[in-house]
Amino acid sequence: MTDTLPAKADPSLDAVTERLLTTQSPQRPLVTPAFDVEIDGRTLSARAGQTILEVCRENGIEVPTLCYEPKLPGFGACRMCVVDVEGEASPPISCSREAEPGMTVQTQTPRLRQIRKTNLELIFSDHNAYCLPPCQNRCPSHIDIPGFLKANTEGNFIESARIFKRTIPFPSVLGRVCPAPCEEHCRRDEVEEAIAIRDSHRYAGDQVLKAQAAGMKAPVPFEVQPASGKRVAVIGSGPAGMSSAYYLAIAGHDVTVYERDPAPGGMLRYGIPQYRLPKVEVLEAEYQGAWDLGVKLVTNAELGKDFTVSDLQNQGFDAVVVAIGCYDTNRLGIPGEDADGVIDGLEYLRIATLGLPYPGHAGTRVVVVGGGFSSMDCSRTSVRQGAAEVTLVYRRDMKDMPAASEVHEMLEEGARAIFQAAPVRVVTDAANKVTGMEFIRMALGAPDASGRRRPEPVPGTEFIIECDRVLLAIGQGPELSWTSRGADGVNASKQKRLAADAITFSTGRPGVFGTGDVRTGAATVVASVAEGRRCAYAVDAYLQGMDLEAIRTRQTLAEPQPEFLSIVPYTGETKQPRIRLKGMPIEVRKASYVEYEIPYTQEEAMAESGRCLQCTCEAIGYCDLRRQGIEYGTTLRKLEPGRDGTSYRSVNENRFTGINHDYLRDDSHAFILREPARCIDCGRCANVCKEVVGAACYDFMRTGFDTLVTTPLDMSLNTTPCVSCGRCAETCPTGALMPKPRVLEKYEVDESRCILCGICVDACPYDALRCGPDFELAHESREEPMIDLLAISSIERDSELSYVRRERDWLARARAQGRDIPATRLLPMLPTGVANGNGNGTSANGHGPRPGGGGGTHAHAK
Amino acid sequence: MELLAGRSGWPSILLGRAATLAPDAGIEAAEAAGAWSAWKNAVASIAPDALIASVERSGLRGRGGAGFPAGRKWRAVANADRGQRYLVANGFGADPGAHAERLLLERDPHGVLEGLALAAYAVGATEATIVVRAGSGSAAARLRAALAAAEEKGYLGSAVLGTSIRLSVTVRELAGSFVTGEETVLLRALEDRRAQPDQRPPYPATKGLWGRPTLVQNVQTLAAVPWIVTHGAEAFAATGTPDAPGTILLSLSGALGRPGIVEAPMGTTLRDLLDLAGGATGTLKALLVGGPTGGFLPAASLDLPLGYGTLTEAGALVGSGSILAVGSETSIVELATLLTRYLSDESCGKSIPCRIGLRRLAELGDGLCTGLCRPTDEALIRSLSADVRDAALCGLEAGAPNPLLSGMRYFADEFAAASAGGSAPAAAARPGVSA
Repeated sequence: MTDTLPAKADPSLDAVTERLLTTQSPQRPLVTPAFDVEIDGRTLSARAGQTILEVCRENGIEVPTLCYEPKLPGFGACRMCVVDVEGEASPPISCSREAEPGMTVQTQTPRLRQIRKTNLELIFSDHNAYCLPPCQNRCPSHIDIPGFLKANTEGNFIESARIFKRTIPFPSVLGRVCPAPCEEHCRRDEVEEAIAIRDSHRYAGDQVLKAQAAGMKAPVPFEVQPASGKRVAVIGSGPAGMSSAYYLAIAGHDVTVYERDPAPGGMLRYGIPQYRLPKVEVLEAEYQGAWDLGVKLVTNAELGKDFTVSDLQNQGFDAVVVAIGCYDTNRLGIPGEDADGVIDGLEYLRIATLGLPYPGHAGTRVVVVGGGFSSMDCSRTSVRQGAAEVTLVYRRDMKDMPAASEVHEMLEEGARAIFQAAPVRVVTDAANKVTGMEFIRMALGAPDASGRRRPEPVPGTEFIIECDRVLLAIGQGPELSWTSRGADGVNASKQKRLAADAITFSTGRPGVFGTGDVRTGAATVVASVAEGRRCAYAVDAYLQGMDLEAIRTRQTLAEPQPEFLSIVPYTGETKQPRIRLKGMPIEVRKASYVEYEIPYTQEEAMAESGRCLQCTCEAIGYCDLRRQGIEYGTTLRKLEPGRDGTSYRSVNENRFTGINHDYLRDDSHAFILREPARCIDCGRCANVCKEVVGAACYDFMRTGFDTLVTTPLDMSLNTTPCVSCGRCAETCPTGALMPKPRVLEKYEVDESRCILCGICVDACPYDALRCGPDFELAHESREEPMIDLLAISSIERDSELSYVRRERDWLARARAQGRDIPATRLLPMLPTGVANGNGNGTSANGHGPRPGGGGGTHAHAK
Repeated sequence: MELLAGRSGWPSILLGRAATLAPDAGIEAAEAAGAWSAWKNAVASIAPDALIASVERSGLRGRGGAGFPAGRKWRAVANADRGQRYLVANGFGADPGAHAERLLLERDPHGVLEGLALAAYAVGATEATIVVRAGSGSAAARLRAALAAAEEKGYLGSAVLGTSIRLSVTVRELAGSFVTGEETVLLRALEDRRAQPDQRPPYPATKGLWGRPTLVQNVQTLAAVPWIVTHGAEAFAATGTPDAPGTILLSLSGALGRPGIVEAPMGTTLRDLLDLAGGATGTLKALLVGGPTGGFLPAASLDLPLGYGTLTEAGALVGSGSILAVGSETSIVELATLLTRYLSDESCGKSIPCRIGLRRLAELGDGLCTGLCRPTDEALIRSLSADVRDAALCGLEAGAPNPLLSGMRYFADEFAAASAGGSAPAAAARPGVSA
């Protein structure tokens, strides 16, 4: 060193200081001048230099952001945080605009919501990815299907049932009665055949029931909350009511269920035959899970007859959930409908499902009218009750039947089916007794305005089926006469159903909610259960005193409505056929009420679940894009599978379509998984990697529509200066960058192939590798690694305890193993006190011998 | 492009010398024609504050496109916090159809340098950068030669004219897309960072190059300053219109008899300008005024005077000062779509509505051109345009919907015909953005 050079500070230190000063959010002293601003009508205190967004976040006002990274100054790419500032023509973005004294700000005007919605729609129009797997999206209750199938594969059936119960409390019941719409959309179909999703959860649920019989309590999906002191009355113990009661009980409320019948279950008990759903072994056993949670039951109590809604509220119930279902069978409106021998299908099933013979049914000729599940149950039960001849008549084609999946089983059991025929009249004798029924053939007419071809009668094709009994199963509506007394404010909708909101389930009367079939009209069990659960969330929000109107606007209780775009078909999978449930021989089952399907063995259940392709987005639950997409109602509700094996996006709801990018997944890096198709180009990873970490692995590449935040030349992260810190994955608002799921817990080094190059020793950012005592210390003789670890770690991270903790734990472990750690090798992010605690801390060469020798051959990757 | 003669009696503020001086004449000849006298005068006898006041009184507005009052900008920089300040002269000339910046730098680099020196002196900037588009031929070379000569003479450098005034000037040639002309993008590019805009405010006047107060001014604006110093603010304010005094360089191209550049006072009607360029070659259908982010005006609006307010109201822009004459054989639907596609491709890709929204606009335009459109597409274009504009990060994004919007405003029939499935009127020629 010469004297002529001016004394200068260490330039690297300067660089670090500079970076700190220019890129880290300014640490403003708390004494900066404070002033008032008005945001959404609230007068709030702001400090000089704070952005509008910071003021909002401090005060719990949520402004959506995608590209905003709290550690860094506002970036301004996503345009989601636009707010309205009084007196300004176009809305500024709140992450970059500083609050000024006297500012009046609105964060949720219709115009702002429109701008945000357009932004999201634009993102989705180039988002070649999906959130939920198709099966889960299709499920009315959005069960985590890949999740429970994975647990099944591992043989962990109790956990599988627990996952299931997060969305539906009754895996065994649904395992028997669900029409399994999920299976129609299973992507395994692109390989060979859809997975038996329903049979798989049936198996898992049954294992729980078995364990319950042995004394175990049913698993509860969530931590039961402490008692809230609020009381909820649920009217109706069918699928909707019980699912509501179940989740309300978990939320800590005191729930009482009112049931008009002597036993709980509603349609599950009185509408679905024993051979499909065993009452004691399955229904009652599974309902036990709800009683275990403290749900109380009052039977033989009918709404409108034994009590009114007002009565319940006067008794001190804080909320009342009406889930009484649909029990009024629709009328055909044809001559002779009142004849002796025309029977309401539900009335019939009510007796028959209990396993009791319906009076005079044996030996008669029966015509069943309808195409839903009730019509199947009527037909198949009639067969079992010894009817001489059973004929099902449906006015549309078989493929249009809601219960199409069951038709072949019905036919096997000996019933007949006639499609595309509509009832004209009931033929009666002089005593007004049924002797037959006249039908007319239907044909598809010309397409109407909506493009649908409606069936129309073909004149001259009338025909008569001779019969003794007619069972009507043509759908049901709710019974609403109770609304006229002690239920002011509760009204019927135009469709003659209970009027209640689809998100908050509120009726016109505060504290009274409506859910299930009574609100939607007769639907499947799974749809009712989903309704019940969502209603429970709304009631819970109401009981917590939240503003339901705000919840409705922001759709915070809405179910995930994820986006689907083209999904790359699977082709590389080994074909592995579906394992089907076997049924009892037809001759045996047609005379028996015993459940006719033979369950899986454990091996079969595990193997079938193992066929799942696990096509789920790993970021689900963490994705900001998805959350905002739901709030702004921009995501698509439909998946339209193409027959060529690919699926295409539904254009019904996103206003914008056009070409979209298809990028390749990059899993070459050991810790970070890159899925550029899910990238929204917000730039957060690039900014964090460059400004906070210093490695600068990512940047905006290319221009225009083709811009993508990626590595130079889209190279593997392994080729960039990546230090595997994981900050990019941490900041990513979507699933474009994710911590890679690790299966390995430990690496083994193959000593026969190691050439002692020492590169691994150099590269390991956590100093997990070390050369043994017999060899030269590789990294001491080499140049410093390319990454400026010192600079990276000099950045203040005291607030981020995890990093410090990780370092401390590593140090403790190393010392416990007798390893000698010189301070120079510590990542200096450790508080200096910790680093210098080592007596040998300042030694230049602190690599002493390790006990046991052989160091360097094993390294724990954890 | 050819320099067209203006009407007699028009003031010649920007190119007064250029008409008589050979481009390579050298500094002596330029000085003989009046160059650098204002600078010497200012250094000797005008305080920076008085200079700013004079520019304020003159009413000079920035010629970069938006027409922000120059004096106000200077004042903001001068009042910004102490310490290092910068001046950036924007001679990038982003609009491929406008050639004013390049012509000015080629013909009279001393005028630009002198204006730059005056502005830097007024706002207290000691470092100035002139940005020239890479590959713009002799502009950079002549500018560099003029700069070297001025430094040699002591007009610029470490001790200007023997005083303690310090002004170091560098010429930077930048390559980049259309968006590079935006001021924050330009600053990022000068910092060797990725050319993407930043949210304003903060404006460069408070937080510009390297985070310091920076005066960013178009070279054409700067070139007017020596004239103001020499002839007085009041004389300048008397030219042009009261709202926008002075002259502007206009690039006239398209279906014209004699395309070229003309210096015209603000307030000149479009009809006069077309006459100077030889008039329309065929039946004039429309004018694209203001460059790719400008707007279409119908032939009926030829009596519209050139002004910031009047043009914006009519749906166009002063913008880059480019005026493209569109003949009757050209489809406005196609041309508007072409411009939208161009802007989409030139987008830096930072802002989401810009990156995807402009592409979707271009695709909707394509749909109209090919007949593959839905009846609701026109409404969708309007709605998307409004959202893109309101959520815009920079000027490119905010102006990008203009061609389609102004097209739909004045040529509704053509769009309706396209929307109804009949393709747009036959398009024999597809004039590019640059003539």
